[in-house]
Amino acid sequence: MSLFLHYLSLPYLIAGVWFTLAVTALGLVGGLLLGLVLAAMQLSRFWLLAAFARGYTIIFRGTPLILQMVFAYDALPQIGIKLSAIGAAGLALAANEAPFIAEMLRAGVLGIDRGQVLAGQALGMTPSRLMRRIIAPQAIRTMIPAFGNETVSALKNSSLASVISVQELTLRSTQLASSTFDFFSIFFASGLIYLVLTTGVSVIQLLVERALDLDRPATANRFARWLPWYRAPLVLGPVAGKPAAHDNEQAPSPAAPKDVKASRADRTKRSATLAHNEIVVDVSGLYKAYTSQPVLAGVDLTVRLGEVIALLGPSGSGKSTLLRCINHLEGWDAGTVKVGGRRMGFREDGKALSPRALAEERASVGVGMVFQQFNLFGHLTALENIAGPLRWVHGVSRADAERRARELLERVGLGARANALPRHLSGGQQQRVAIARAIAPNPAVLLLDEPTSALDPELVNEVLEVIRRLAVEDGLTMIISTHQLRFADEVADRVVFLSGGSILEEGPAHEVLTRPRHPITARFLNVMEADKPSVAPA
Amino acid sequence: MVPRSLFGNARKKIGSASRLRSVAMGVAGLIALCIAGQAQAAAPAGCAALQTKYPDWKGKTLVNAINPHTPGYEAIDPKDPDKYVGFDIDLGEAIGECLGFKLTYKAVTFAALLTTLSSGQADIVISDIYATKERAKAADFITYSKVFDGVLVAKGNPKKIDGINMSLCGAAAAENTGYVEVPLVQDLAPKCKEAGKAEPTIQLYDNNANCIQAILAGRADTYVNDVNTVDQAVKANPDKLEKAIAVTIPYSVGIGVPKDKPKFRDAVLAALIEVQKAGIHKDLLKKWELDPNNFKEPDILTAD
Repeated sequence: MSLFLHYLSLPYLIAGVWFTLAVTALGLVGGLLLGLVLAAMQLSRFWLLAAFARGYTIIFRGTPLILQMVFAYDALPQIGIKLSAIGAAGLALAANEAPFIAEMLRAGVLGIDRGQVLAGQALGMTPSRLMRRIIAPQAIRTMIPAFGNETVSALKNSSLASVISVQELTLRSTQLASSTFDFFSIFFASGLIYLVLTTGVSVIQLLVERALDLDRPATANRFARWLPWYRAPLVLGPVAGKPAAHDNEQAPSPAAPKDVKASRADRTKRSATLAHNEIVVDVSGLYKAYTSQPVLAGVDLTVRLGEVIALLGPSGSGKSTLLRCINHLEGWDAGTVKVGGRRMGFREDGKALSPRALAEERASVGVGMVFQQFNLFGHLTALENIAGPLRWVHGVSRADAERRARELLERVGLGARANALPRHLSGGQQQRVAIARAIAPNPAVLLLDEPTSALDPELVNEVLEVIRRLAVEDGLTMIISTHQLRFADEVADRVVFLSGGSILEEGPAHEVLTRPRHPITARFLNVMEADKPSVAPA
Repeated sequence: MVPRSLFGNARKKIGSASRLRSVAMGVAGLIALCIAGQAQAAAPAGCAALQTKYPDWKGKTLVNAINPHTPGYEAIDPKDPDKYVGFDIDLGEAIGECLGFKLTYKAVTFAALLTTLSSGQADIVISDIYATKERAKAADFITYSKVFDGVLVAKGNPKKIDGINMSLCGAAAAENTGYVEVPLVQDLAPKCKEAGKAEPTIQLYDNNANCIQAILAGRADTYVNDVNTVDQAVKANPDKLEKAIAVTIPYSVGIGVPKDKPKFRDAVLAALIEVQKAGIHKDLLKKWELDPNNFKEPDILTAD
């Protein structure tokens, strides 16, 4: 026991810890940098980069670290690269860690909900901005446990540097054992030192996880609470407050329903006015096919300023695809899409735009989009979901962005939930935030892709009410794909009926909905009416 | 006034004292150097001439790759683990002193000694390595010591092993990766088979401590290695280990130098001759309690 304590406190062994830590640090930092490059290459659109990264991963993940160490130490000098022992060990460890870290990074990035990425793109965020603001902050949180693992494994793997003369803990232990023959006391001591080091890593991991936990209230004294003299405040923090989840955040009550249900005469007058407005969206001959199966078989559609179009049709009829093409979230095979007179997705000379240029175009033309699954950014509060893109994409100042976001949250009846995370909001509340986010930059046209389909029935109305007011009060140009026939009748100027990728019928909303000309439209409307409880009570 | 003059005096005193001290230190240093020189009995007569003849390494610091797991030859000093001590260490420094260079040490596994040398990560290898024709493909050797191996066995020698011979049939031998004893034991396999006995098995480890532990743990029956290493192991574990016998091995121990530096090889050889002439080699054998019969006049061993 006394021998064990003697070796445990022997400066010779303790000094070996520094070599162990130095090799580990070099390996981790180098591995992280190299891993970032590798992950970026693997996720890249250019197949050659991806293939190169794949090849690297196969080689360095598939060969033992000990060989890589010997290679870096003994083979590299043959081609004139003579690194110090620590340098060679760090290089080998970094080269070996990189593919593992790259896979962690890739998994983290791919693990981010596709919908959030789509929403970011729709808001006009460039790929790099998306990575920095949306993907990375969420991916890093999910990667911390894996990174803790990787750190512990790198720390232990650094012991292999003993074969290339790095004076780290393991090498020093074996040398000491050889000269003193106190085999077991020495290895128990160095084992305990390794345990202390890896425990330290675990503690750091837990602290980082805590610090990044979104559900923890952000307090200034986050670290003060670890101090022995810290006393918790008697007043409970904001967690316990605000029990009212629903009553004060009700959707705005139907404002003046009489205005909304405009009379027949009003509607005729309105459509006559709209007919003279300028064209905002002009789709012509749009054709798109997945493996020779056309999803859009030549669609022509014009939408004028202030018009509200209801896109109806059975599932798979191409409604979502049409909306995504208008925003150029998806490409197409033939035809053109013009928004505000600009041909989307192409340069003046007809060449396709890069993802970055496309994002900038989306932002400048102004096409807002609301998704079926809300697609709010999970790590940002309701307020930041709205204010963030305004700052990042449109360069609005922090104060102005926040003012605009608060104003919009008030309008959708969520002023009190500004600091709530999406996962603490109901589906209807999330969709209202999503609508506020989409209209924040004052888009020329707002596309809504089945905005109420993912909602529980009792939450549908609060969202429809918000959309109704946008149409009536703001005169916003909108294309809504929906199954809510009564809503379409009340709010839409025109109904466009899609089936099998083509427009079967279009015309004034009330006319198409009450007197469909095409038999398929009629059958569809019948089925939808039958599902409505008000018409056919169970 | 009084304090001021006191202060002035004091300053003057400090000044003269420090001057005195520096002179004293210089003298002490000179004396220390002389004593050190005498104590090491270094700078044999011929060395000055050698430094003129081979000036390339004078004042340099060279890297000596060692496998510091062989107490008596090279191991860390248990009292000061930052230092390496042993016969090879002292001999290397005597040679260095003769040619005017200093040595630093790079600790590697035994099997990595020669790769470390040929990759340029070390300049010289003085680490109780046996010079064989096979190894001479990787380095040139200046031989300096005869080889006597000891056969280390568990106390009482339960398997009755008495050398690298048929008594090893069916036994498990622990050996270091890359040691010359490995092929010697392997060569016994066909002979054992012919005699209708089981073949010997070899367990490869990467240092002496692990080989000795293999016997202590009952995994291996014997460990054949340099007799001094075996003696040290017995001394450390007198209740559990014993030396069955000492055998001669047809090799010499050599200093490894890079193949592409014949001039350095010749310089080391010449220095070793001077060191031996001055009696330092034999003194060191005595100092490290090694068998004086190890002494050998130097030779060069190369691949061709």
